[in-house]
Amino acid sequence: MPSSESHLADHSGSLLESHKGYDSRVIFFYFVVAALLLTLAGGLAYQQLFKTDTYNERERVQSQRRVLVPGPRGNIYARDGLTVLVGNRPRFSVVLYLDELKSEFLREARVIRRNYRASGLTDLPFPQMARISVVQHYLDEVNKILGRTDKVDAKSLARHFGDQLLLPYTLIDDLTGQDYARLIESLPVRSPLQVYTSSTRSYPYGSAAAHALGYVRINDNVTADDFPGEDLATFKMAGSVGKDGLEKTFDDQLQGEAGGTIFRVDPSGYKINPPLEKRLPVQGKNLVSSLDIDLQLAAEQAIGDQIGAAVALDVSTGEVLTMVSKPDYNLAEFSPRVSTAAYAAIQAKGGEFNRALSGLYPPGSTFKILTSIAGLRSGTITPDDAIIDCQGMLQRFNRRLVCYNGIGIHHDVLLRQAIAESCDIYFYEVGWRTTPELLAAEARRFHFDRRTGIELPGETRRMFVPENAWKERTKGEKWFPGDTANMAIGQGFVLATPLQMACFTASVARGEVHTQPTLVHDPNRPRQHTESIGLTPAQRLALFEGMEACTLPPKGTARNMTTVEVQKIPGVRIAGKTGTAQVNTEAGTLNIAWFICFAPVEKPEIAIAVALEGDTPGEEYGGGRNAAPLASAILKKYFEKKNRPATPIFQPFKPH
Amino acid sequence: MPFRRFATTRPFATLGFVVVAWLLLPVGVKTFSRASFFELTAPVTVAADYARGLQEYWSLRLHSNHELIVAGRDLARINASYEFAVQQNAELQAGLERLEALLRLPSYRNYRLEHARVARRDFSGWWQRIVLRKGQNFGLTVGAPVVFSGGVVGRLTEVYASTAVVELISSPNVRLAGVIEGDTNAMSYQGGLNPTFGPPRGVIEFVPLDVFASPTTTKRLVTSGFGGVFPPGLTIGVVTKVEPSTDGLFKTGEVKLDERLGSLTEVTVLVPLTHE
Repeated sequence: MPSSESHLADHSGSLLESHKGYDSRVIFFYFVVAALLLTLAGGLAYQQLFKTDTYNERERVQSQRRVLVPGPRGNIYARDGLTVLVGNRPRFSVVLYLDELKSEFLREARVIRRNYRASGLTDLPFPQMARISVVQHYLDEVNKILGRTDKVDAKSLARHFGDQLLLPYTLIDDLTGQDYARLIESLPVRSPLQVYTSSTRSYPYGSAAAHALGYVRINDNVTADDFPGEDLATFKMAGSVGKDGLEKTFDDQLQGEAGGTIFRVDPSGYKINPPLEKRLPVQGKNLVSSLDIDLQLAAEQAIGDQIGAAVALDVSTGEVLTMVSKPDYNLAEFSPRVSTAAYAAIQAKGGEFNRALSGLYPPGSTFKILTSIAGLRSGTITPDDAIIDCQGMLQRFNRRLVCYNGIGIHHDVLLRQAIAESCDIYFYEVGWRTTPELLAAEARRFHFDRRTGIELPGETRRMFVPENAWKERTKGEKWFPGDTANMAIGQGFVLATPLQMACFTASVARGEVHTQPTLVHDPNRPRQHTESIGLTPAQRLALFEGMEACTLPPKGTARNMTTVEVQKIPGVRIAGKTGTAQVNTEAGTLNIAWFICFAPVEKPEIAIAVALEGDTPGEEYGGGRNAAPLASAILKKYFEKKNRPATPIFQPFKPH
Repeated sequence: MPFRRFATTRPFATLGFVVVAWLLLPVGVKTFSRASFFELTAPVTVAADYARGLQEYWSLRLHSNHELIVAGRDLARINASYEFAVQQNAELQAGLERLEALLRLPSYRNYRLEHARVARRDFSGWWQRIVLRKGQNFGLTVGAPVVFSGGVVGRLTEVYASTAVVELISSPNVRLAGVIEGDTNAMSYQGGLNPTFGPPRGVIEFVPLDVFASPTTTKRLVTSGFGGVFPPGLTIGVVTKVEPSTDGLFKTGEVKLDERLGSLTEVTVLVPLTHE
């Protein structure tokens, strides 16, 4: 017994000893626990000290929302700086701020759930039903004030709630002024229901200068430079972007500066006021165009339903005073968005096509001015040499060539008479004497082979000056004298746009070879100076006299301008040139009626080019008869206005 | 010692208890309590105003006969000019009715005029309102426009048995559709944040860009009549400044209101006849 007791005592003593001492396993356990605690503490310290920014950033991105509101676009003014050609029209709508209705939605959902529970239905979309019910309740308030019976569109509400909760939900759009006033007085000042104002493009002159001004389309991707929170979930109000004309070219300048707001939101996405950051939208810059709306309207009225284009330029500066292209479209149809049917109708009639800068036509007899210049400069003709006897017909190079403009027979014709009466045979001879190479070189000198570079999108690149090598390369034929004859009278392969012809006319009027057209008005724009036309004063005088005689009786091809009462412009000398070109189409040969002119002859101020398409094959359609009256209408308005110029009040921005 | 400690904290405990009890009360009870409180204090307000009226009466009795004669003469002149204006208005009214009949235009809303004495004025940074000595007992209704000789006073926001509260147009809680005199473009007028004793002002928004005004070339802002609450042509105030808003669509501006809004004693409530 004692032995066993002592054994136990020994044993227990050793046990006690082991507990009192430092058992390696226990120590190991302590180390493990300590290591784990240290790891935990280290992890916490790491997360707290080194990852703070990351988590802050994540929290910020998760709990903040950004709302962007586009700035209104700048206005486009006529050259007087006063007349608004494209402005902004307020668009009033009554909206509901859904994000302020969280408690109402929850309360309504509870009521609906309780009601349905009584009838045993529990798996219905109560939150959606509650939203519709609450929104309808607010809409009914508006209905009562305005005497309407509108209903909530459940689908659009669900979409808006899911995607654009922070943006106001539009209940009724495009309110009349009277409805707007009624709501202003009847809605409580502090209510989730508010009258909201946005802007949409307005066009006081409808379709006037539609192609030059262009239109805008809805832009859902509004951006706000320098506004913080690019990484936040962003809600964007719809803006607009220029899609054609000046609206497109100067979109960057016209585009307003978007404003924005950054809100903190709760876990359900509802806004918590006040906003953390706010910036008001700012209107874009205004653009003062070079267009003269009175001339534009006069031209549009004169062109009526005809197909074609007319361009009027300021001779000195190259500023475009008028740019008409028909058929066109009503710009108002594009604001705020064009319907599919309306767009299809515009396309069907070719309304989108800007004939002024993309309509390629053979210039017809208006090209004879260039042929004359080429002949005079090369020395193959002089103003006072009758180089050929026009008998109305010419047998040359085994071909029979006709003078299409022969009123009887021109006989020995001089340059002045040849231009005034548009004698084809005279210019065939000039072409042959000058050679096609020199004619082409002269055309290139006047920039007939390239785009004008006007600030409008869509200008064609297919204007063309033909030459021998081109014909051999593309058609596999050599250049025939008949080709030269055709080229000399602006037929055959030569193609030009009305804008090019207007620039050419302005250049001739200034005695230079190039006019850079522009649609931006600058009251301090200097006179353009380019290479001289290269004619002696006597040659230039003869050219101008021939062009003036074109508008005078007895035999000028555009004599109606000075003989028909409605076309007369007393006291103004006009230098012009008619042209009638033929275009072969599948339907037959169509005539293109051309007229180019500048005035006054003694000190040119305005240059005009008109091209009208005859729409019926075989129809009599001529420059003097059809195109010249349009130019006359523009000139008449121009000189009528000349004594009452407007003073610009806006400082135009410099596009470059 | 513990009793003393309780005694010192008792007011706070009581306050806390009352606040908690008020918060826990149902909304209906709270609304009823507020309305009842106003109704119960209304006789006090009215009585105080009567006392004030009596005080004014006796102070006026102290004026000399000469002063009364001069005041009577001035009043006769004013009455004469008003008589003339009334005749002109009658003529214009007849003309309007004839044109309305010719053009088959709907007539403007008809109102019954209910003159009321101002019992109390609450002017502060928060409140811009007056209490009238008439209420449901005279058929007044919430929302009815209130005017005085200088134009619009405001709208009735609360109507009790024998009193009614008018929110003045100087209050930011009042908004109405106005037009510049002679124009038809409606704009939004709203009371401004007015200092307690400062001259009352308001703001206008959605002002067309072709409207110009400055302190030297002011424009009169009148009610449009489009909103259906106020008849057209009542003076709201004088536009002293307009400037383009940042969005470029409209202008915003300041409206100087009639300073008499702060010392009104008599007003007229336009009770819509259709509401009766």
